[in-house]
Amino acid sequence: MRYGFFWLLRCRKDEALTLRSPPQVGCEDGSVKLFQVLPDRIQFERQLDRQKERILSLSWHPSGTRIAAGSIDRFYIFDIKSGHVSRQILVERRLQGSPSPKCLVWDLAFLSDGTVVSVDSAGKVQFWDSEMGTLLSKHPISKAAVLSVAVAEAEDSLVVGTSEGTVYQFQLLPVKLGGSEHHWVRTRLFRHHTHDVRTVAHTATAFISGGLDGQLVIRPLMEKVESKTYEAALRIVAFPHRCLVSCARRARLLLFQYPQHLELWRLGTTNTFGRPGEVLPVSCPPQNLLQLKAKGPEHIRSSCVSPCGSWIAYSTATRFYLHRVQLTGEQVSINRVLKTPKLNGSAHHLLFSSDSTRLFVASDCGCVHVLSLLQSGACKHLHTLRPNLERSEAVYQLAVSADGKWLSAAGGDRDICIYNLENTKLHCTVPSYGCPVTALAIHPVTNNLIIAHSDQQVFEFSIRDKGYTPWSRKLQQLGLHKDWLERDTPITHIAFRPRHPSHVLLHDTYMFCILDTSLPLHEDAAASKKQAQLVKTTQRNRVHAFKICKRFQPLLFVDFLDDTSLVVVERPLMDIKAQLPPPVYQKKFGT
Amino acid sequence: MAMGRDRAMAREKTEAAVVAAAAFSEEEESDEAPEEVTFEKAREIAAEGRRLAGERARREKAILKGKRRHREELFKEQKKRKLLPENLLEELASTQNSTNQTSDVLEQDQNVEDEVENHEDSEKHSEEEILATRCPKNYMAVRLKDQDLTSQRQQEAKDFIQRQLYGASCNRTTANQYFSVENKKNAVKKAAIQFVNKSWGKVKKQKANRFTKHWVSSKIIP
Repeated sequence: MRYGFFWLLRCRKDEALTLRSPPQVGCEDGSVKLFQVLPDRIQFERQLDRQKERILSLSWHPSGTRIAAGSIDRFYIFDIKSGHVSRQILVERRLQGSPSPKCLVWDLAFLSDGTVVSVDSAGKVQFWDSEMGTLLSKHPISKAAVLSVAVAEAEDSLVVGTSEGTVYQFQLLPVKLGGSEHHWVRTRLFRHHTHDVRTVAHTATAFISGGLDGQLVIRPLMEKVESKTYEAALRIVAFPHRCLVSCARRARLLLFQYPQHLELWRLGTTNTFGRPGEVLPVSCPPQNLLQLKAKGPEHIRSSCVSPCGSWIAYSTATRFYLHRVQLTGEQVSINRVLKTPKLNGSAHHLLFSSDSTRLFVASDCGCVHVLSLLQSGACKHLHTLRPNLERSEAVYQLAVSADGKWLSAAGGDRDICIYNLENTKLHCTVPSYGCPVTALAIHPVTNNLIIAHSDQQVFEFSIRDKGYTPWSRKLQQLGLHKDWLERDTPITHIAFRPRHPSHVLLHDTYMFCILDTSLPLHEDAAASKKQAQLVKTTQRNRVHAFKICKRFQPLLFVDFLDDTSLVVVERPLMDIKAQLPPPVYQKKFGT
Repeated sequence: MAMGRDRAMAREKTEAAVVAAAAFSEEEESDEAPEEVTFEKAREIAAEGRRLAGERARREKAILKGKRRHREELFKEQKKRKLLPENLLEELASTQNSTNQTSDVLEQDQNVEDEVENHEDSEKHSEEEILATRCPKNYMAVRLKDQDLTSQRQQEAKDFIQRQLYGASCNRTTANQYFSVENKKNAVKKAAIQFVNKSWGKVKKQKANRFTKHWVSSKIIP
């Protein structure tokens, strides 16, 4: 999914990327540049004719011989062979409403039959014949700008996103039933966003739209979906599917990861006790200890605070930073560890060992670097754990056992490797599963690995026996409950209750669940229900393994602080919406 | 004895008073009529003054000179201390020579217009090489001028996008209005968002509070 805003900026800053290779295209003020994509670098090839106005959008003809470039008030068709403009097509300005001085062609789509679809700031979707330069049809759909367009692979359907937050679908339909003449017709309207839809994508069965309201909407097109199952339902992704909060249990600290900065908070405490459901007064309010701003324009990719609370590590797309934090009473001091070892690539995931003496850095190239942290504040590279197979996919999930003996790493190729940290060798790999891993954790007592996948499956893998545990096999046999499988968001974090080894905490955006592995699974309860005389008793104490709490929503993070307390981080969506850029004014009747 | 001392002090006092009076009278006299000075004497005095001034200037100059010399010596010492090791200096010198030579060769080949560019290019190259040799490995030398240009371009592009999407002609509302309208259109009617959401409109609420307090106090006291 590309990010419309940055794409356009980069586009004019000549680093741009279009989706089609081999040659890639960047455009600066009025020029279109061709780049060759080589395995290790991007090489400038040539420049097409320079035009007066800035280039706002680009689209390749599927054959790769022509390219359409949208500008202000017009768009151009370039011939790649000669590098000249073969046709220049003027787009009319706004006719109704306030006269706008300019009409910007925000996006273009070049179809294989030579039709060019242009969407512009005047709210029109226009179909042009690129050979003759004539207008085929014009659809004024919005008073505000139309910002994006995407065409299906089969070229029989396309979607456009407007700045009012609506998405329109256009379909190529026959004029007469069974006739050969086809026209583009506006068919459906979707209203899932409150703000501008900056980018859309069209797959074979669904379209995906990304808006400035921070949501990614996956909307299946019902006529293309064969089975109307839960998998083919509308999905709205509001939060990233990874953990943005890390917790230092012993020091009672929380580290929040924002795109450009980190915040370290100390949790508040209370000294009174109350009944369940009661809100207790805090004796010591939560305290913001530190705000750490990342240098440069890059976003923070991953961050972690050590369990003792004296180290903070974070990484951007290119660099990795380590800071030492010293908390003495009310005073906070932070020092950057300057001599960090040079690592190839950046870190996808960072993790401290439970005794805070080791830092594990998951790298781009499938290996895990182990750094040793000294009390003096120094840091040095110990060794690199490599999988047996040379793989290039990045590692993006790590879990370390409480005794510091085992490390498991899940990569983009869906393999989970388990390393023995004592002899720094690969111990075994978990049998590969079709869906990516969303969360990993190693049980502190039994050293069993708990794995949550994006299709909501949960597995327990015994590291000692190198196989799935009987509990996991039983769970697979019985199948998970329907309510569990039909959740929208993946499990992003797994934790264990210190003094209750059978309790496993799992959470996603809308619920957290305490999984008691000592209790029977739900099917057992259903089986016992058959006995007529026991129905009432079983219903009263229908104990099954999954205990779900949906009281706090939407969740960013849940973890056990100690045996009797739980920390829950809630992020109200309204707070995020309040900080968004202003939406387009729409007149509503009766307001 | 005491009487005698007293008398003596009194005498001294009167004497001092007389002297002061005399001085006063003298001053008064000088105010009244200027002392006569002969022309030659005046000239002598002026020459003396000039000589003194000249001497003073010379002395000051000498002091400055001394200071400057001292500072220069210090600088030299510092430079010696800072100077790079011999082999590195030699290397630098050799790279400069080689780049100059290459540029010379190129210059011979091409016409006058190209020459200038080439020369510039070679200068750039040599600069880069010098920097490459001089800089430690994990540092990167960047020309600030270039950086400014790109950031300026970036800023321009950002401003353009901002203007086109959020400018005057774009008919945008505020987030508050938008969500308030949404609340109103809901099946469950709610107040404007700034009243529903407690984090909103803090300033306005504070202002209103202050106003009510002021109003109440103004009504009660009289």
